[in-house]
Amino acid sequence: MILIPIIDLLQSIPILGYFPVIILFFISLFHGGEMGIELSAILLLFTSMAWAIFFGVIGAVKGIPVNITEAAQGFGVTGLKYTRHVILPAIVPALVSGCTLAWCDGWFFMIAAEYVVYLGATYSVPGLGSYLAKAAYVYNDLNLSVVLLILITAIVLYLNFLTWHPLLEKAATGTYKPVLRIGLSGLGKLAVITPRIAPRWLRIGDRVHRPKSIVLASKWLKRYTSQEKVIALILSLIGIFVVMYFEVGKIPSADVFEQAFKDPEFLNLPMYVALTMGRLTVAYVISLGVALGMGVLAAEHKRFAAVFYPIYDIGQAVPILALFPIFFVYFSRLFGGRIGLETTAILVLVLDMIWYMFLNVVGAVKSIPSEIREVGRLLGFKGLGRIIHIVIPAILPAIVTGSILSWGTGWNTIIFAEYMPYEMEVYGGQPLELPGLGAYLDKTGYLPPPKGNPVRLLFLLGVVATIVLAMEGLVWRRLLKKFEKYRVEI
Amino acid sequence: MGVLDIEHVTKVFESENGKIPVLEDVSVSVKEDEFLCLVGPSGCGKSTLLRIVAGLERADSGQILFHGQPQLAPTPRITMIFQLFGLLPWKTSLENVTVALEVLGVKEESAEETARSYLRMVGLEGFENTYPHDLSGGMKQRVGIARALALQPEVLLMDEPFSSLDELTAKNLRSLVMDLRRRSELSTNTFIMVSHNVEEAVFMADRVAVMSPRPGKIIGDVKVDIPRPRLSYLRDPIYFKYVDEVVSVLERGK
Repeated sequence: MILIPIIDLLQSIPILGYFPVIILFFISLFHGGEMGIELSAILLLFTSMAWAIFFGVIGAVKGIPVNITEAAQGFGVTGLKYTRHVILPAIVPALVSGCTLAWCDGWFFMIAAEYVVYLGATYSVPGLGSYLAKAAYVYNDLNLSVVLLILITAIVLYLNFLTWHPLLEKAATGTYKPVLRIGLSGLGKLAVITPRIAPRWLRIGDRVHRPKSIVLASKWLKRYTSQEKVIALILSLIGIFVVMYFEVGKIPSADVFEQAFKDPEFLNLPMYVALTMGRLTVAYVISLGVALGMGVLAAEHKRFAAVFYPIYDIGQAVPILALFPIFFVYFSRLFGGRIGLETTAILVLVLDMIWYMFLNVVGAVKSIPSEIREVGRLLGFKGLGRIIHIVIPAILPAIVTGSILSWGTGWNTIIFAEYMPYEMEVYGGQPLELPGLGAYLDKTGYLPPPKGNPVRLLFLLGVVATIVLAMEGLVWRRLLKKFEKYRVEI
Repeated sequence: MGVLDIEHVTKVFESENGKIPVLEDVSVSVKEDEFLCLVGPSGCGKSTLLRIVAGLERADSGQILFHGQPQLAPTPRITMIFQLFGLLPWKTSLENVTVALEVLGVKEESAEETARSYLRMVGLEGFENTYPHDLSGGMKQRVGIARALALQPEVLLMDEPFSSLDELTAKNLRSLVMDLRRRSELSTNTFIMVSHNVEEAVFMADRVAVMSPRPGKIIGDVKVDIPRPRLSYLRDPIYFKYVDEVVSVLERGK
């Protein structure tokens, strides 16, 4: 009852946003040093991984059909037996797909977690992520960075297809709900994204499959009112504060409070918010347009699918944050530091957001019921008219859920993308930054006082959470409700 | 030669487990003004046959002749009513009918006028601006009927049109279709219905073609000679005689 709202809330704050808080905590716990960073990195990876599994398992337990539980009761299957024969089999697929997702999420944060500039000093724990970061920022070596990126992508793809995919296939037999799949092409005959092209008489009465993310996101939105979320937000901020008070002791002195809002940059906050939102909006619009085009084409024409599915498989396997240093080195050579960073930030955001949209669009187009398609053909809709009157309205709910997921991941990326703490010789030994909420948050978290300030950090996190929740309540939830009617009831 | 001739139609579905023959050498002919009902066990390919007639699917061999010409693609002269109504959820009742006319090139204003008159005909006056989401199953099917008839087709195909409705609603809609059929102003006079409900078939059809289990073949053709309107014959021995006859053909096909 208490746990779920808190996890919901923590999930809506970008993980990279509270990374500074975690580092702050561990470093003061171990009085600085590598141990603190290593533990922070592990905790960051853990928090990024835990949600997918947690929600997957909760969803699976809740998704056990009533007739199954009733049958179990009727046959006297209770207690331990019930757990073994009903609950465990039901959560295995969710567990496996959750772990898969978690694993992919983990790669995403690896770069950010292994190479940290904190209070002016660079901490790195040896690993692929930190090596790539060094290759780009310290050696400024484009070739080495690209080679490392290809290596990382190859590892991710290898693990996806040789470890996770077969496991998912195995787990997918005998589930109540479709299981998420990680790859669209190649191996596999899971029925989520591509409901098998079944003969008509097999399809009647078959439920329409939707990608799990859609189901999850819409369920999640419905679960709480915004008031409940605001209360949970305040509670958890107080919670973080209390932890810091006891562990770090010195932090909430009057000085720190005073400094928090005296920072000259603080007045720029509205502008920063606008700039960051602007970047996210630009990237969102580009992703939406491209993903819509690609998704509809891929879902409707096998020839496009043959091209786009592999692109998706590889594209979503590339850890986006690992792309960042490489793009940056490339674009900064092309346009110079500042514009290079701006271009990199938006491009990385697009590459980050686009796959959620693409996956949702493909899934939704594929699950347009055959009767609706037949009506379209029977009435003589063709070409653009068909797209406008049949396809787009049918996938609107999926576009909204895709948007929610895109914005969620976008917030994570922007916090990383707006600030380059590395003092590169090429740019006069100065950290590079784009004016924005993300950069401000990073500076507040990572720089020594008076720029760095834990109270302001919490405040800024609150601002981010408020924006995320406000967009959800004012935009997405309303759209979802409006488009709910468009769902074809089967 | 009839309005519609189904000649030696064969269809095989490819699935992961190999080839599944669905229809095997099906031939049946429908005359003008005739109401034909295809009855058969589930999975016998009757819905597939209807879709081949509509031009939504291709036969592997054999052909459909419409007025003697091969019928290969959807045409507004043959329309269809669906089991799950086939309404576009993002359009109101009125829009669902008008859009069908507008695709055919009818001007917006006259399309709307026509749509309104057909919605009135099926008893949906006052629900023009309601979305399918807020209509009951029976009302949705009324919109489906209005949309199909508004196109003024010669042939109306019905794919188990009443099987997802409760019996009382289904009964009302059956009577509605029979009433509409008697109206002289409608150009639609040839009907092909797919059903697995023998009573429904005997109540509505002039002829009942009985299909075998998969792969579907025509194994019986029963001419139903009961005077219309048939509502008063529902307790009559002659009605039960035809029901028994169809059922016995079905039983033999097992």
